[in-house]
Amino acid sequence: MIRRALLAGVALLYAASIPWYRDPGSPVEVWLGLPDWVAVALGCYVGAAVLNALAWYRSDVPDREAPPPSGPPGEGP
Amino acid sequence: MSFGELGLVALCLYVVAMLAVTEAARRARQDFTPADHFLAGRGLGAFVLFLTLYATAYSGNSLLGYPGEAYRRGFSWIMSTGFMMAIIVAFHLLVPKLRPVAVSRGFLTPGDWLRHRFGGEPWGRAVLAACALLMTWALANFLLAQLVAMGHVTEQVTEGLLPFWVGVVGLAALILFYESLGGMRAVAWTDAAQGILMLAGLAALLGWVLGDSGGLASATRAIAELRPEAVAVPDAREKANWVSTVLLLGLASVVYPQAIQRIYAARSGRSLAHALAWMSFMPLATTTVVFLIGIAAIPRLAGLEGVEADTVMPRLLAEWAGEGPHFAALAALVFVGALAAIMSTADSVLLSLASLVAIDLLGRPASDPETTRVGKRIATGVMVVAVLLALAPRLTLWRLIELKMELLIQCVPAFLIAIHWSRLRAGPTFAGIVAGSALAGGAALLGTKRIEGVHVGVIGLALNAAIALAGSAWAAAQAGRVGSGGVATPSASAR
Repeated sequence: MIRRALLAGVALLYAASIPWYRDPGSPVEVWLGLPDWVAVALGCYVGAAVLNALAWYRSDVPDREAPPPSGPPGEGP
Repeated sequence: MSFGELGLVALCLYVVAMLAVTEAARRARQDFTPADHFLAGRGLGAFVLFLTLYATAYSGNSLLGYPGEAYRRGFSWIMSTGFMMAIIVAFHLLVPKLRPVAVSRGFLTPGDWLRHRFGGEPWGRAVLAACALLMTWALANFLLAQLVAMGHVTEQVTEGLLPFWVGVVGLAALILFYESLGGMRAVAWTDAAQGILMLAGLAALLGWVLGDSGGLASATRAIAELRPEAVAVPDAREKANWVSTVLLLGLASVVYPQAIQRIYAARSGRSLAHALAWMSFMPLATTTVVFLIGIAAIPRLAGLEGVEADTVMPRLLAEWAGEGPHFAALAALVFVGALAAIMSTADSVLLSLASLVAIDLLGRPASDPETTRVGKRIATGVMVVAVLLALAPRLTLWRLIELKMELLIQCVPAFLIAIHWSRLRAGPTFAGIVAGSALAGGAALLGTKRIEGVHVGVIGLALNAAIALAGSAWAAAQAGRVGSGGVATPSASAR
């Protein structure tokens, strides 16, 4: 559940990294040495890196296949 | 000592270091089985795995091509940080489900998954052959590009003391040597050493570029004066291209055979997850740095047009080297770091290519030690052909092999959809691959790489996935199957 929430956060940050919220040609300010929309994109990617790393730390990557469940064919393993 | 002589010494030291690592890898060899040669006995720990993933993912193009792209396109190239990170995000779709199946069934190549998943179906072999061909094409393309880059960097770092052809032939021979002797273990260990070298070189270069430009803010203001369009908010087409590039690179890179084989080669799932967690930060440490270097070059090297912009990195390094012997030594370090990035990508590609051709295309048994020898002979043959092509880059073929990610991404449904949706069938998957590849390849060959900013490869993938999904749903309905999907059910056991 937490892993899914982290990955949803990554997806949201990716969506926010692209400057949909700004019109082409609108005035640009300098933030942290970068054009404001670039600083926002970079901030989103820093956030995405942190959330994605946490998601990997919480990921269960098994080394063996789970035994097949007893159920109708076509719905395992 | 001139910069060229310094570069030659650095190059020689690099070669000696690689030979020493190779010897260590040769001594660590356990046996002659394909699993030991192609997957280092499935024993790569988190740290080595992280460095080999890093060095393999960041090719010569990442270090030498991306600054030029940032110079040409301006600040919108910040998307490069996003698409390199997207690879590590997209692995969430593949790794947790592929790893347990791969370990349990002893997978060696990407084709093993396809045999396992589609092997019992009439069109299973067609899916395997189509994916193996697309992957072989992409890898051959990648290898050729690295060889050409190796020649150029050798020539630049030695200021022509070693010509282009010596770089191509000599370094190709070095890769063949350490790969034949030590297999994946030598590749991974040399990648680890090369990854550290890359990071050191980039950190030094960024420090110089930003320090010398009076800081990032003054560089940005200078660019706004000189090229306002490089600073402006992107238009709708560029924004669409941003999304498309993230999808194209993120998804296609996940099905790179060398990436898939590193999933198999990890010592444990935990090591793999940790390595991928650390990899999340590498786009910030590498791609963003390279992006900033390209951006800082706009006011320093004003007026470069078209392909000239690709020489941004060598020009900056030449300027840097001219400021004194210490800077020249650091510039040589960056050049060797770039060479290391190229070599580490080329060696991984060659190893994957050999296993792909030997096992997936020629059908050699994966447990037979003779397959290792066949793989080595294939690697030698491929390398000889690639070197000949690299020495004559004006061939018409050059244009054809530019297609890479657009075709590779067509393998995505056979992996990412197949692993999550048990009803995906081989027939519609094969039809989707053919249709998507024809659309993407045909459009690219006719000179259309993007439509309204969206790559033809991504449009081809949408068609491909639609055919695979609709065809499989229709087949399931025809068969009168009911119930929800769930985790993929293999149709046959692994070979």
